[in-house]
Amino acid sequence: MTWHSFFDLSTMEHRHLLFVYVGIWVVQLGYLSWISWNWLHTKNPND
Amino acid sequence: MSRPTPTRIVTGLWFAATVIILVLGFHQAIFVAPMEATMGNVQRIFYYHVPSATAGLIFPYVNLIGSLAFLYWRRRDPLKALAADALALAAAEVTIVFTSIGLVTGMLWGKPVWGIWWTWDERLTTYLLLWLIYVSYFVVRRLSSTGQTQTLAAILSIFAGIDVPIVYMSIRWWRTQHPSPVFFGGPDSGLDPSMRPAFFLNFAGWIMWGVFITAFRYALERRRQVAEQNAALHAIEASLEIPHQ
Repeated sequence: MTWHSFFDLSTMEHRHLLFVYVGIWVVQLGYLSWISWNWLHTKNPND
Repeated sequence: MSRPTPTRIVTGLWFAATVIILVLGFHQAIFVAPMEATMGNVQRIFYYHVPSATAGLIFPYVNLIGSLAFLYWRRRDPLKALAADALALAAAEVTIVFTSIGLVTGMLWGKPVWGIWWTWDERLTTYLLLWLIYVSYFVVRRLSSTGQTQTLAAILSIFAGIDVPIVYMSIRWWRTQHPSPVFFGGPDSGLDPSMRPAFFLNFAGWIMWGVFITAFRYALERRRQVAEQNAALHAIEASLEIPHQ
């Protein structure tokens, strides 16, 4: 595959492949961001 | 800026290694692995679907260990029980993320290959049951007002621990719409050597990601628990300082 065919949305097969790869990163990075935000906004008991 | 501690250095190195492995895994899966003869390029979903779905069967056991430790310590040593509950909660969240991904990516793969989004075969149904157990786990944790919330959640995690081996064995015990096992499935199973780097890099990468996220979420929950305890102590101290009239 190439980057061009990876972002090809012309067929259902290509769309679903792209949705899976992009979707997983969006969900995992979103969850990591949520934890990070809460980490920064929860008082550190050592401070 | 806080001083780097050994824990922070190890955590940073672990995260950096995870990202590098996942980038290499993505490159292998999309650009290097050959196109599968029957399914075409959509088969590349395999390299992301299987690691996430498998992680959804591994982290329930971290949740179970935390839950059993909580049940053991809840009367003997409440402080240790709190730490065990934090581990159980962190692993449960990571599990529901991975199982949700496993279900959705499975449907996105099933539609073009099988022609259907969903079927009630044994693998899909038992996996959905696992997901529903963890949905119940969070509903209980969020809404229960019995004072036994953590205990009820810990019991639910035992049910999840029972379901996991059934999910794993379902494609061995029954003929399912879901494909037969690729690994440990008998003489006809296995993965073409040209596809192994893509699979194993992504498998290692997503498991390492799960370990990192579980550790980070555990640290956050411990920080929140200590902050809550400190706030309660300050409130008690403040109430004792009120002058009596």
